[in-house]
Amino acid sequence: MKFINDTIHSSVFFAAYLMVAGGFLITALLTTALFTTAQASNYPAAGNFSEGSKVWAENCNRCHNMRGPKELRDDQWITTTFHMRLRAGLTGQETRDVITFMQASNTKAGATQVAVESSTGATGKETYEKTCVACHGDEGKGAFPGTPDFTSSDGILAKSDAELIRNITNGFQSEGSPMAMPPKGGNPNLSESGIKAVLAYIREAFGQ
Amino acid sequence: MMSCSCYSLTRKLLVTAIAVALPGMAVAEPTNADLQGQIDALQSQVTALNTEVNQATEWKNPNTLIHTAGYADVGYVKKEGQDGSFVVGRFAPIFHYQYRDIVMLEAELEFEVGEDGETEVALEYLTIDWFLNDYAVLVAGKFLSPIGQFRQNLHPSWINKLATPPPGFGHDGAAPVSDLGLQVRGGFPFAGMRANYAIYASNGPEINAETEDGIDYELDGVAAEGFNADVDGEKTFGGRFAILPVASVEVAVSVAGGKATVTNVEGEEPPLPPGTVGPVANQTARDYSVYGADFVWFTGNMSVRGEFVKTKVGNDRSAGVTASDGATWQTWYTQVAYRLPNSKWEGALRYTDYDSPHDSVDIKQAAIGLNYLVTNTFIVKLTHEFNEGKTDQTTGVKYATDDDLTVLQLAYGF
Ligand code: HEC
Ligand code: HEC
Repeated sequence: MKFINDTIHSSVFFAAYLMVAGGFLITALLTTALFTTAQASNYPAAGNFSEGSKVWAENCNRCHNMRGPKELRDDQWITTTFHMRLRAGLTGQETRDVITFMQASNTKAGATQVAVESSTGATGKETYEKTCVACHGDEGKGAFPGTPDFTSSDGILAKSDAELIRNITNGFQSEGSPMAMPPKGGNPNLSESGIKAVLAYIREAFGQ
Repeated sequence: MMSCSCYSLTRKLLVTAIAVALPGMAVAEPTNADLQGQIDALQSQVTALNTEVNQATEWKNPNTLIHTAGYADVGYVKKEGQDGSFVVGRFAPIFHYQYRDIVMLEAELEFEVGEDGETEVALEYLTIDWFLNDYAVLVAGKFLSPIGQFRQNLHPSWINKLATPPPGFGHDGAAPVSDLGLQVRGGFPFAGMRANYAIYASNGPEINAETEDGIDYELDGVAAEGFNADVDGEKTFGGRFAILPVASVEVAVSVAGGKATVTNVEGEEPPLPPGTVGPVANQTARDYSVYGADFVWFTGNMSVRGEFVKTKVGNDRSAGVTASDGATWQTWYTQVAYRLPNSKWEGALRYTDYDSPHDSVDIKQAAIGLNYLVTNTFIVKLTHEFNEGKTDQTTGVKYATDDDLTVLQLAYGF
């Protein structure tokens, strides 16, 4: 009996030890990783991600074809966006917003944002008009080349809800496509129910 | 069959062995020393990782950023009545140096190969940009002319939808190319819309005069190419103001004014400052003005843009001046580009009408282009220009501007 007790005791101790040590290691790695991301550069001051996606969608294909976030590294987006601030006549705030959007969207799909899971309580329509319209357009036909036309009958709305929800959540770039869909449309606060609601709205408003 | 059962037997044995060994391992109670050893090992691993991670971030966080961008194009050019040639268009690297969010140096070099095989290098622009605040940037140095949109926004070959610039927007045309001086530019919200502006003071242009018979001189061209000295001491002031009533529309007006002097007369070695002997002597500064308007509208897969520029040089009626009559250069174009939905194909149409004091360069041009966008910045362009030049009154023959042109171009922006 004592032997069994001892065995259980020591196994539990060992397992607990492994968990704590492993947890410590993972936490250490994660914090350094997060810290590193945040410290990529301490200038310019952080901008607003979703404003940035809007400024980008509305301005960056006025003179030339769209340049997507994945083309350049974080530090390169700083110089390039400052250069484009001069060309495009952006304000300082718009410049910072675009840099924030670019730097957060050039990571691998999924690794992007530390999602804050909280329902904003917005309806699907409100979410669409706030987060998605800049790229997908008022009529769901796409605001610039590379965005899909939701209204075309053999289009992407033929895909299943599960697949579309996954692609909206994690971000998505189809083979050979010049542009990527940013995870959650660039709004890290969008909850799972919010995504379902906005997809339902897209189907209702633009689907055939 | 045989090997199969052998394999599954081995696997069973293995699984059993592991099943027996596992509790056994747990049973072997680790001593404190063992644990201490493991903790030490883990700790030194974490320290090593931390050091490595810190070192890895070092390059990511400097105060100075260095970046190169730019573009290049190569192709094949065939002019009506001539043999076609392979050509290297240009290689135009852009250098960016930036210190935090305070200042940026931007410089573009342009390498071109002449027909004789010689390489020519030009400093397309070189400016130090001081980010004063959210709404104003001081741009000092040699800059692309802020007049209109073609020069400053569209001329790089990966951006221009056609393989050639619209007539009048090149060198000695109606639209100024570059200028040297001080510029303040920026953007700001304006009654719920976006607006942007550029104002500048610069050395301004110089004027060339030419003669056909050695007796009568006339103004040949306004060279607005960012001269590094202000020969006539007369500055030019100008700017552009643009407004975006909605995100997909930009409309702008440009003006510039000042004085410009004939500094270069055909047959003389340039540049001769006023006061020297020869036809340049007695030249006084003339009125110089530029007016422009431009717009762009894009929707989904289509973009429409257009631009008008007029450059005017006044009379110089003082005694003994060659080419005393003033002159006007004027050009406008409209361009439509359409990309087939969900494809890499794009079509472009552009119409230009360029009018100068000289029949030999006046041209009406319709250009049509078919582009294949391998990527967003690597573009294969096939452009054909239908050109209509004027007829030489003395010989009754059409000027060379009448010849059509076909260009196949590979353009890459990086
Ligand atoms: C007003 C026209 C205009 C707008 C609007 C514009 N660009 Fe550009 N962009 C240019 C021009 C012109 C160049 C070529 C650089 C040169 O010749 O100096 C360029 C170059 C670039 C390059 C190549 C790298 C470099 O720095 O030259 C990238 C990347 C780029 N733009 C991204 C963007 C982004 C992102 C936006 C939106 C914030 C944007 N552009 C908006 C005109 C524009
Ligand atoms: C910054 C621009 C941008 C924003 C903002 C954006 N999208 Fe997208 N979206 C794209 C692009 C680009 C694609 C096409 C990607 C591809 O096919 O490679 C896309 C594709 C999609 C697709 C099709 C996915 C598939 O499987 O084919 C859906 C659905 C979608 N977006 C929904 C949304 C919703 C919902 C929002 C708002 C919450 C949103 N998007 C915001 C750019 C954007």
